[in-house]
Amino acid sequence: MSLTSATTSAPDASTRRAPKQRRSWAWLGVVPFFAFLVIFLIAPALSVFQKALFDSDGNFGVDALKNAFTGQNRAAFVFSVKLSALSAFVGVVVGGLLAYTASTLRRPRWLRTFISSFSGVAANLGGVPLAFAFLALLGRQGLLTRIINDGLGVDIYRSGFALDSTAGFVFVYSYFNIPLMVLITLPAVDGLKDSWREACANLGGTSWTFWRRVGLPVLTPALLGGFLLLFANSFSAFATAAALTTKSTLVPLRIGFYLGGDFSSTGEQQLGYSLAAWMMIIMVVNMGIYYVLRRRSERWQQ
Amino acid sequence: MQRKKFSAAAFALALTITVAACGDDDEATDTTAATAATADTAVTATTETADEADTATTEASEEAEEAEPATTAEAEEADTATTAAGEAPMTEAPDLSEAIAACEAEGNKVNLIALPDEWANYKGILAAFGEKYPDIEYPVSSPNASSQEEVDAILTLAGQDDMPDSVDVSPAVGQSMVEQGLFEPYTSVYDAEIPAGLKDPDGHWYAAYYGIMAISTNTTIVDTAPETWADLANPEYAGQVSLNGDPRESGAAFAAVVAASLANGGSADDIMPGIEFFAELQANGNLASADITPATVLSGETPIAIDWSYNVPGLAQQMADQGFEFETHFPADGIYGGYYEQGLVTDSPHQNCSKLWLEHILSDEGALGYLEGGAVPARITSLTERGLVTDDMKVNLPADELLDQVNFLTQEQVAAAKEALAENWGPMVADA
Amino acid sequence: MSASAAGRRRLSNVIVPIATVLVCAVYFVLPLIAMTRFSFQSIPVINLRWSNLTSRWSFDPVVEPFRDEQLRSAMYLSIKLAVATVFATMALLIPTTVWVNLRLPRMRSIIEFLTVLPYVIPPIALVAGIRVVQPHARWFLNSHYSLVPFYVVLALPFTYRALDAGMRALDLKTLVDASRSLGAGWGTTLRRAIIPNLRTSIVSASFLTATVVLGEYTIASVLLKPTLTQELVVFQQSNGQQGTAMSLLLLVATTLLLGVLTIVTRKRGGASVTPV
Repeated sequence: MSLTSATTSAPDASTRRAPKQRRSWAWLGVVPFFAFLVIFLIAPALSVFQKALFDSDGNFGVDALKNAFTGQNRAAFVFSVKLSALSAFVGVVVGGLLAYTASTLRRPRWLRTFISSFSGVAANLGGVPLAFAFLALLGRQGLLTRIINDGLGVDIYRSGFALDSTAGFVFVYSYFNIPLMVLITLPAVDGLKDSWREACANLGGTSWTFWRRVGLPVLTPALLGGFLLLFANSFSAFATAAALTTKSTLVPLRIGFYLGGDFSSTGEQQLGYSLAAWMMIIMVVNMGIYYVLRRRSERWQQ
Repeated sequence: MQRKKFSAAAFALALTITVAACGDDDEATDTTAATAATADTAVTATTETADEADTATTEASEEAEEAEPATTAEAEEADTATTAAGEAPMTEAPDLSEAIAACEAEGNKVNLIALPDEWANYKGILAAFGEKYPDIEYPVSSPNASSQEEVDAILTLAGQDDMPDSVDVSPAVGQSMVEQGLFEPYTSVYDAEIPAGLKDPDGHWYAAYYGIMAISTNTTIVDTAPETWADLANPEYAGQVSLNGDPRESGAAFAAVVAASLANGGSADDIMPGIEFFAELQANGNLASADITPATVLSGETPIAIDWSYNVPGLAQQMADQGFEFETHFPADGIYGGYYEQGLVTDSPHQNCSKLWLEHILSDEGALGYLEGGAVPARITSLTERGLVTDDMKVNLPADELLDQVNFLTQEQVAAAKEALAENWGPMVADA
Repeated sequence: MSASAAGRRRLSNVIVPIATVLVCAVYFVLPLIAMTRFSFQSIPVINLRWSNLTSRWSFDPVVEPFRDEQLRSAMYLSIKLAVATVFATMALLIPTTVWVNLRLPRMRSIIEFLTVLPYVIPPIALVAGIRVVQPHARWFLNSHYSLVPFYVVLALPFTYRALDAGMRALDLKTLVDASRSLGAGWGTTLRRAIIPNLRTSIVSASFLTATVVLGEYTIASVLLKPTLTQELVVFQQSNGQQGTAMSLLLLVATTLLLGVLTIVTRKRGGASVTPV
């Protein structure tokens, strides 16, 4: 993409005479990018809404959107939300603690670098290989399952555990949620200056006071933002879930179920699209709040 | 700086060339090279079939008249496809030279799908096909796909070069395929020898084999193997009872539900008792969350497998390697036999190669291959009459008195069962 | 500050972090151990005893899969898709980020917001949309390379941030002014002035893209494209050990890619590996 625009980059008095012309040229530069996004991202997304709102005869109706909250789909929403919230919570707590560790532990000196590098890697792992790893660990014939069975005499599966239960999913999803939280929170925790701690102590406060009055309030935007990001991450995870279970008890899995079947007779195809539409709506709200929070938390990172 | 730039450019160029070169391998079927290479073998193939045609009547349906003893070599080795010199050529009499030539023009490739190695000895049958037609490629995609996934592949890959040419689907899925016009009608050369109950009256599909539902248990993991449907509800089998998929998608799971229904007071017309049976298993935790695949069987994740009996012999060796022992029981309270439908896919890229495949599985080699795997081939009567079936071949087959109890579902019963499953399986079992 | 308070603070400062690190270390390592054992030791878990713990280990499960034709061509396809996606991303994003940083600084926040969109439209929703359009766009979607633009979209959050961070570290205006005043056109400026200075960011973005493409499953599985992860799942159903071994290999490869990337960017204090 080479532009042969004749305008120079240094503004001078002459350009003030024709500011409009200059601006319209500049817009051209980002048109390819916008066009690309429209074709390959916006258009498919809008098609989903179109399919969800207009049935096969072309009539507009929100029935499909409403029906997305009935029956098994409703159960899927409940499960997905519950699961995402729980795994986000676990991620925030453990990830936050790990970030705090990386930030405050002075010795060993390589620990912080190691934790942040490791998090950079692990946050992007996931999907199919991760599911296989956990199946090997905690599946019915998993190594840990057997160890717990032999060592503690507890058959976790008989006690109600399963990799595709809430506990199982939270356990697996934490593998990429915790590192992601570390990555997001590390800059924020770094921003907690030592001088604040000392000042608090000098004024007679304890460690608990420090956290309650200074630390947590400062970190709250980052923690909340982290929660939202982890929530979004967990809610939309498909690959890991698909490799872990054959059931369709989560929203992404149900969408996959509807996409892969032949529902032309029952008209259930539209349900799949309405599920996808709702998923996007939830994501928009979620990421919207996240965006605002991130802006606020960046204030403390100067 | 200049040298760096030059090497960077050279690297980029090399990369582009490699990408382009490799790209050609994958996508374009190299028809010219293939035709050049196979020109010779095609000639020999046609001369061979011509020879066979000379020594026997051209129509394969007439072979019933020649009751010549088949070569023992052919009888024992189900996977040697080429005819022995001059002996029993009538079993290979059908003249498929036209299809062979047309197949070559199409690219000598037949896209197969969902044919696992251990399923009714498809490993042997595929190998026999490869020997019969050495130049035809037969890639099998997604071996463990369910029947529904096969249809999905047809619809998703429509128009692409890797669209499935031939499928092997359950009667339930086959029904919707016929409704959607996805089967290309075709009359096999063996048509007259296949009983009416095992083929579509309009030529949409043939049922090359059928079998019986059995309960196969890994007795290294499970102490006492369940022998009847009622046994399966025993609490000691928590999380161990597994199906081969979702009955709305998979033929084997569909059959399991019907069989369970027969055992619990239902009938071929009403499979609700079967759905309720599995709902109960799900409720008390006996139903496993994993589907039966070779991997889960061999790892022990699915120790009690409700599956076709012909799916067991293929894994026997590997099970022994793992140190597992297993037992197969045919539940006396509910015997169910079912077939699968094979046919040509409409508008697939290699119609004629697909015909060759269909003819192969219906041929003697194919039939004997199924037999070895423990399934009953459609043309069993014809083969038995010609003395091609010996007792040691039937070692994997269920006992005759069980086979006598087999009654296939009619199309109406299949449709009713499909509907019952579509409405009830989800709420009652799958997502409960 | 009393001595005991300081002592208390020091203790809690040390115990909690150390415990956290230990627990996390165990948690992150255990699944990999289990995966390795399952892949390379041909003994089902139920038959494991102390006596046969060291027997029947072999490298076969990671070597055999390479003989499988379908898996091999899936590997090639994924690698080619990764390379193509990297090139496409660079071709799209480098001029765009240059332009935005140079001429449209106010657009930066809009564009940053747009690069978060792929998070709002998760892959499963994206592929649902593709399915809607599929009957009308078969001429495009039939080719395996039609995945490339969608992969560019999926990697956008990572790649844009990497490139933009690198771009902002440059004094772009001066660079471009100098280059243009010496008589270079835009193409040459891009090629010889800007891109060489963005090497770290470009490498960073490329590695991230490769990671995303190699690990992508959702879109490929719905569209039935024979990419590595898609074929791996299918392969694993028939060959449990080999499939898991290959997944482990993929995990290791991805880790290496990202590990190298993290180390390289650490020196330059450059791009991050977070998507948002």
